[in-house]
Amino acid sequence: MNSLYVAGSSFLHRLPPRPKLILLVLVSLSIFLTRSLPVLGCAAAAAVLLYATLGIGWRHSWVRLRPILLTIAIVAFATLLLNSATDGAIVLLRLATLMLVAAAVTATTPIGAFIDEVTLAARPLERIGLVKAADIGLAVGLVIRFVPEVISRYQALRQAHQARGLKPRPATIVVPLIIQTLKSADEIAAAIDARGIRGQTGLRNPQEARS
Amino acid sequence: MNTRDLVLAALFAAIIVALGLLPPITLGFIPVPITAQSLGVMLAGVVLGSRRGVTAVLLVLLLAAIGLPVLSGGRGGLAVFAAPTTGFLIGWVFAVLATGLLAERLVKPSQNATIQTLGFFGAAVAGGVLVLYAFGITYLAFITGIGMSKAFLGSMAFIPGDLLKAAIAALAGRAVMAGYPLLPART
Repeated sequence: MNSLYVAGSSFLHRLPPRPKLILLVLVSLSIFLTRSLPVLGCAAAAAVLLYATLGIGWRHSWVRLRPILLTIAIVAFATLLLNSATDGAIVLLRLATLMLVAAAVTATTPIGAFIDEVTLAARPLERIGLVKAADIGLAVGLVIRFVPEVISRYQALRQAHQARGLKPRPATIVVPLIIQTLKSADEIAAAIDARGIRGQTGLRNPQEARS
Repeated sequence: MNTRDLVLAALFAAIIVALGLLPPITLGFIPVPITAQSLGVMLAGVVLGSRRGVTAVLLVLLLAAIGLPVLSGGRGGLAVFAAPTTGFLIGWVFAVLATGLLAERLVKPSQNATIQTLGFFGAAVAGGVLVLYAFGITYLAFITGIGMSKAFLGSMAFIPGDLLKAAIAALAGRAVMAGYPLLPART
């Protein structure tokens, strides 16, 4: 699975993740404070300029932004029909601005930097006993590792259907897919505990790891 | 959360991501193409229960937020949280919570297969349709200012597909429970 990060050396690329995320939060809050079209227009133009500094190129940018731009355009058009042209324009400018700034943060921040930031943000939750901050990186790694596995299982199941002349149906594919995938959980959990990846849990409390 | 629960949640998150990569299917009687990804959210609730189910869904949203194209149609990045349909993404967390809590309470191993399937169907509809649409429609109405009733009408087209997904989730949830039970029993 390829990440949406794009290597580069623009100003945003060199900025650490936290100021970028704070900028995104500020933008998302402030564009809902105003209904003035000129102000929102300037914000949208600034967002386009910001995105243009990343050096991604028009064609590639269009491919990346198209699905969400389409949803925004459809909803803005529906608002125009249902309410007024002004309301439609406000929706279009607000959401396009927000989407461009968010996409710029994503394109300039590698996955590792994000995970570090999330782990740091989870420390207060760890203190109140809600999560273990180190588990987040572990779980993210597990998901990335197992997506291709699940897809190849799905393809094997589809071929098994075709070999028997059966039409692949959601119910007959999903059930074996879930059972096969989840059955490997015991082995993976045992492997994680055997390597002591989650700190002391496996050693201090062996029966908990098995239960 | 012990290591096995964490691994189960991560594996289910991988299943939800994989379901999003399958091409959307158009059913004969519904005009809108439906994706299998929200089926994955209902399945997480009925198969894993509330706690592990919520963890699985939060993992998918985290992966999307940090810039992996894990949502249906290869969407991902912080931009998906700036779309008009973001309410449905946020709603996933509460949908799987509701589905999981209800599934844990409604379905017991001693019941016969029909009652179990109906229990799972009720849980999937309550979480994956009622709770999910409450979040999705409220957000859509707030962000566009078109009002709740119009936002509701605009989302109606997707409800038949989601009811069908709830039925698939119920059948699959019951079959997984028979083959590899994971749902914690509540007394």
